[in-house]
This record gives sequence, C-alpha cells and structure tokens, in this order.
Amino acid sequence: MINRKLRIGLVCPYSWDVPGGVQNHIRDLAEFLINNGHHVEVLAPATESEDLPDYVVSAGRAVSIPYNGAVARVLFGVGANSRVRSWINDGDFDLLHLHEPAIPSLSLLACWAGEGAMVGTFHAAAKYQKAIFAIGPILEPVIEKLSARIAVSESARLTLTAHLETDAIVIPNGIYAENYRDGSSRTEWQGNTIGFLGRFEEDRKGLPVLLDALPIISRFIPDIRVLIAGPGDSEEVLAKVDPQLRNRVEFLGKISEEDKADFLASVSLYIAPNTGGESFGIILAEAMAGGAAVVASDIPAFADVLGNGQYGALFESENSENLAKVIIDLLRDDTKRRELAKAGAVHAQRFDWGQVGEEIFEVYELAMVSGQKVSLTSENRSWTRLLGRD
Amino acid sequence: MKNVILFAGLATLIFWYLTFSASRLDRLHHRVETSWATLDSLLQRRAAIALEVARSSITDPATSLLLTASAYQARGADIEDRSSAESVLSGALGMMLAERESIVAKSDQALLHELDQLTDKIKVAISIHVESVTRTQLIRNKLVFRLFRLAGTAPLPVTYEFEADAI
Repeated sequence: MINRKLRIGLVCPYSWDVPGGVQNHIRDLAEFLINNGHHVEVLAPATESEDLPDYVVSAGRAVSIPYNGAVARVLFGVGANSRVRSWINDGDFDLLHLHEPAIPSLSLLACWAGEGAMVGTFHAAAKYQKAIFAIGPILEPVIEKLSARIAVSESARLTLTAHLETDAIVIPNGIYAENYRDGSSRTEWQGNTIGFLGRFEEDRKGLPVLLDALPIISRFIPDIRVLIAGPGDSEEVLAKVDPQLRNRVEFLGKISEEDKADFLASVSLYIAPNTGGESFGIILAEAMAGGAAVVASDIPAFADVLGNGQYGALFESENSENLAKVIIDLLRDDTKRRELAKAGAVHAQRFDWGQVGEEIFEVYELAMVSGQKVSLTSENRSWTRLLGRD
Repeated sequence: MKNVILFAGLATLIFWYLTFSASRLDRLHHRVETSWATLDSLLQRRAAIALEVARSSITDPATSLLLTASAYQARGADIEDRSSAESVLSGALGMMLAERESIVAKSDQALLHELDQLTDKIKVAISIHVESVTRTQLIRNKLVFRLFRLAGTAPLPVTYEFEADAI
C-alpha cells in the first residue's frame, strides 16, 4: 500500500466546457484522489475562465471533429503537442492516467510523449470498424506504452480486444451513492408514474420510443403519468403526442441534484429508452441508488450495468410494444417491482466511488512498481534534439 | 544525384524505423519484467499467508499439510512450472475458504481479510502481466523483428497460464 502523497496527472480528451460522461468521471476521480491527499492536475481542452476548478489546466480551446458517427470536441495539433510535452516535463508526475487514448486527442499526444507509469481508461463501446486496419499500426505502438489498461464496461473491453488486440481490467464508472440514498418520496410524483431524465430532444435518448408506447400503456393503466425532467423545448415534443394523451405527460424542466434524488425515490418506474451511443449507463446506476425500479433498453452498456436484467428490467431497444409490455407487467405487480428496486439499490453500491476509486488506485499501485517518475520518452527526446526543437 | 538523395532518404527512413521498432520492443520487454516482478512479489506474499494460515488454528491437520506442501512448491517452482504450482495452491486455499463460516476468531478473520485483499490485487496483476506477455510475443513474431533480430538476446517471455478468474 502506498501511503505517500502522489502527484497524479489526468488527461481529459474532451472539452471541459461541455458536460459529458467522460468529463464527469474525470472530475469525480480527481476529487476522490484529492480527498485522499494526493496532488492532482487535469489537463483538458477548455476555454480559460474563472470558474474552472483549480486542478484543471487548460491546453487551449477544443475543435469539433466528426468521429465515430458523433461530433467530438477534442484538441490536438502542433501547439497542443508542445503544451502536453511541457506539462509532462514540468509536472514531475508519479503517474499519468489517460482517458480514451485511442482517439485523436490530448490523451493520445500524452501517451506518445510520456514514458513511465501510465494507465489508460477506455470508455467507448463501438461496433467493429474496418478502418482499424489502417489506423492500427499507428495506434498500437502508442497504446503499448500503457502500463495498465482499464475498460469501463464489458462492452468497452470487447471493443478494445476487437480493435487493438489488447486486454483490459473492467472497472465501472463511479457515482456518489449517498447523494441519492436519502431522497424523500413526494406525493405529486407518486402513483402510476414513470420517470425520464435527460436531454429529451435528442432522439438517441429515446423519448420517442417511450411516447410511442404510451397509447398501449394507457389502455391498460388509464391513470399512467409520464414525468419528464431535463432541459429542452416541451411544446415540440407534445405536438407529436395524441391530443387525448397530452394530459398524461408532464414536463418538470431541468431539476437540481436534490430534486433528482426525490424524483428517483418517488416514481414507480424509471425508464431509460436510449437507442445507442452510450459508453456507460451512469444514470442507471444513479437511478438504482435512488431506489427506483429501472426499465432500460437492452443496448450493451445498459445490459452490463443492470447485470443482464438481474437488477433492472430490459426491453428490446427501439421496440415500443415490448417496452409497453414490460412497463405494464411491472406496474401491475407491486411485489416484483419492489424486489427489482431493492436488488438495484444493493447493486448500486458496486458503483460507489468508495469502491470504484479504491480499485482504480490499486491499478495505480501496480503500474508504479518501477518507482520512476513520468518523463518524456528518450527516443522522442533525441529526435527532437536533432531537429533542434527541444 | 537524384538517385543518391532518394537512396539516402530511404536509408534514413529504414534506419529510423528499425531504431523505433527496437526501442518499442525494448519497452515491451521492460514492461514484462516489471509486471512479472509485481506478480511474483504478490504471489510470494500469498504463499507466506498460506503458510501462516496452515500454522494457525484455522485449519485441520490435513488441510494444513496440503497448504504447507503446496505453498512450498509454489515458492520453489521455477518460472515454467510456476503457474501450475500456483494453481495447486489456489485450489488448496479454495478448499480452506469453502469452510469459511466456521472461522470465527478475530485474528483469523484478519488473516483471511488480508488474503482477500491480496487475491484482488493478484487478479489485476495477472491480467496486466498476461497482456504484456502476449503483446511482446505477438510483436516478436513479426517478420521485421525476427529478420533484424531486434529482440537481441532477451529471452522470450514465458506465458503465465493461469487465468485471473481461476483464483
């Protein structure tokens, strides 16, 4: 067990300015490590501003590039590269933890430039792509330098094995379970209510799937109410709902973290009908910790978090009829629903930062056995000296 | 003249590629060595705990004998036989832990708790080590690396067979 204070450098590939799963994970991890007495710096693309946490070091503004069918806000290039190099050089780190080092980003640059104890975390779960034949030879020598690899889910691990022929340890993303444990049930959200949380205007969050299921559900359960919390324009969504059912749908707007805990404790079912593009189902872990019975689409990331249906019900992704059936079954069977919620609440502890942070730190310890500080790679150093750029 | 420049350029490129590949392989060998050192020290600690358990009040004489014998075997085995010897020790420890409920004394509980923590670490260490060994073997099998003998005299890393989920 290492008891001394470590200097740890985390590298975030995506812009700190926009919210996202990877960014949240890095923020929580940084705070966990700081609370344990370590010195932490996070290198991230960000606009210089005063409300940046003091452990974040900005490497410049991110640019938007299309990658893997989505738009990623990342940063790379000659300027970014020299900033990464001087950050590593000046940081005197015991360990670097690079997030998503296999995409063109700061993490890849840091992995290229650094030598020593380096841990990489792979978040993305993607289908197998042929393009990997072309980029594999570039990525492999870089990814090889990592002393240890972490994948956030079984599907992220499979993605990694298929694309880069390398294995990883599975450690899930973390939540602060205690923040959700003590939500109080509010009467206005009780009854036959189903809850939805998130940016509902994005189709991949799957609200249309849920709304398509509504006519069927209301035939069997007339007093059903759909509660939707999250930012967005409700008029546009309501326009697509059958006029007779519009009074069954309520929009709560963006809610605070405290309200979120109450929301999860109150609703009869929490629904996550996402159609894909999720690297992890952190919201499901939060919902379980909040005591809600969870129904989610059977995309790989969600099936992982719910233990293939053990800790929450799954339905066939994008199939509204199947979703309706699962919801009706659970709303009619109180005992089954309660048992599901109870199993979920116990399972959610597995994602608590107390446990997850401990596991990540264990990997750090194993990566640091050689005891050397992180430095710039020697081969890069001689070549840059030759080119007179040192 | 043009040909000379072209040839010199090509030669530099090949030279760069070979030095780059050699240092890449060197780093992989280094990784194998450190991951093995870590795993080895954890396994040694496990054998020590097994011996301590064997001497404690936890086990009956037969289990003690089994634990002691397999722990000594695991400690003494050379690298080729190591994984099978460790598997035997894992089996012996598994038999002991199967009767876990009957263990009540505080000091014994502490010992078992230490063993649990160590087991978690060993699992992670094994998967890290296996990964670095397979990677190195894979690279060493490539044509360029064999043709130019980039591995030099470094011995081929030994596959550590027992999987992390076997313990």
